[in-house]
Amino acid sequence: MSGQPSPRTMFPGDFAATLRLRHSIIQEIRRFFDTSGYAEVETPLRVPCPCIDIFVDAFPAGASLFLSTSPEFHMKRLLRLNLDRIYQIGRAFRAEEGGRHHSAEFTMLEWYRTGTDYLGIMEETEQLVRRLAEALGPRCTGFSFPFGRMTVAELYGKHAGWDPVTGWNEDRYFRDWADKIEPALAGLGAFFLMDFPAPLAALSRIKQGDPLVCERFELFMNGLEIGNAYSELLDYDEHVRRFEHAAAARRAMGRQPYPADIGFLDSIRLGLPPCGGMAVGVDRLIMALLGLDHINLVQAFPAERL
Amino acid sequence: MIDTTAIRKNLKLLIDNDPWIVVDFQFVKPGKGQAFTRTKLKNMISGNTMERTYKSGEKLEEARIDENEMVFLYQQGKNYTFMDNTTYEQVELTEDHVGDAKNFLVENMNVEVLFFDGRPISVEVQNFVNLQIVETEPATKGDTVSGATKPATLSTGHTVNVPLFVNNEEWIVIDTRDGSYVERVKK
Repeated sequence: MSGQPSPRTMFPGDFAATLRLRHSIIQEIRRFFDTSGYAEVETPLRVPCPCIDIFVDAFPAGASLFLSTSPEFHMKRLLRLNLDRIYQIGRAFRAEEGGRHHSAEFTMLEWYRTGTDYLGIMEETEQLVRRLAEALGPRCTGFSFPFGRMTVAELYGKHAGWDPVTGWNEDRYFRDWADKIEPALAGLGAFFLMDFPAPLAALSRIKQGDPLVCERFELFMNGLEIGNAYSELLDYDEHVRRFEHAAAARRAMGRQPYPADIGFLDSIRLGLPPCGGMAVGVDRLIMALLGLDHINLVQAFPAERL
Repeated sequence: MIDTTAIRKNLKLLIDNDPWIVVDFQFVKPGKGQAFTRTKLKNMISGNTMERTYKSGEKLEEARIDENEMVFLYQQGKNYTFMDNTTYEQVELTEDHVGDAKNFLVENMNVEVLFFDGRPISVEVQNFVNLQIVETEPATKGDTVSGATKPATLSTGHTVNVPLFVNNEEWIVIDTRDGSYVERVKK
């Protein structure tokens, strides 16, 4: 064979070093949870219901199944056993356009802990990132601890000039996210964005004493959305309502509605202990820690190298 | 009509009857939110730039740009004249329309002239062109590894940084996409 190498065979410069760092970061994540009483679990990649998110598209995976977009439903079902702390590092799939920060197949870290809420998860998340930053030493992009905390109302008030909590408008919210908020995030370092408008609750619980917001946060690091956490919703009827609402919203957008997850709902009806949980995009976490600005620089085989 | 999945650099869009070219774009999608593609666009006629954000799935209209291979004849003041090699038809473009391509144009060079609605609006040169240095400091022997550079003026008037070992009057390869030095022309 001769001639130009195929782009599929071309890795970024010093990619072996990146893959070694990637390995040591993932090793350190496991060590963090393994030494905190967590059990690592495995859940199916082909699932009957991929998610409750209106804007997430799943890949079909055979008869009435989809590739998992997050292990959320099955992991919560395990909380009914005598497993009070569980985590998983696995693959997740989303049929989205690719980009600097998006890949259709990516690595997800997800963990759940009983007896806590989103604020407890927030502290734990910060401890995890701090541990990873310390383990990386000088190879890590500098972040100042403790991380800042900002509500969605504060962020939109400052950068978009309105309050989506009291004046919810879905189209305006997401358009302003793309035009005004996302470009501002890079200048905000590492911070927790919290208390999302109630219509964006997904499977988080509504905040006690403030029905307009939910107990949900996201971690941002230098403009990258790293992860998302909830005080988990426990109420069965509310779950049913949210699944129905999501299916109707997807139908209205002309997208395939997902079936409600019967096994998950049955578990909720039988009762879940109060808990909090977090999902982290591991590729993006590695990007943020190493200061790399394209997901292709941390994934060995993104779409263009398949 | 095309949709937002077709957005890439150099895609040409028809917006309000003007041709715009995508110079940069970013796919933006919150984990649990609507997806958008934020674009930076340049008007191919006026050179003005603007930002525009498209919702995923939104329909876009491609600008029909005709490319015609022509040869660059000569420059007179701010006007550049090109000729179609088969019909011998000549067109004139202003310096504004020629844009950065003027840094790389030498007489008798083959280029692509872009037409919109029958009007010539810009010129595309090949990615790599050979140009001669007309002014630079004398070469320093032996220094091929330090990475140090010096400015060199080309026959087109464009200035590039070249390694110290490159001599005056030598021919060099230029990457026209960023105007940078690539290598000496192999003899």
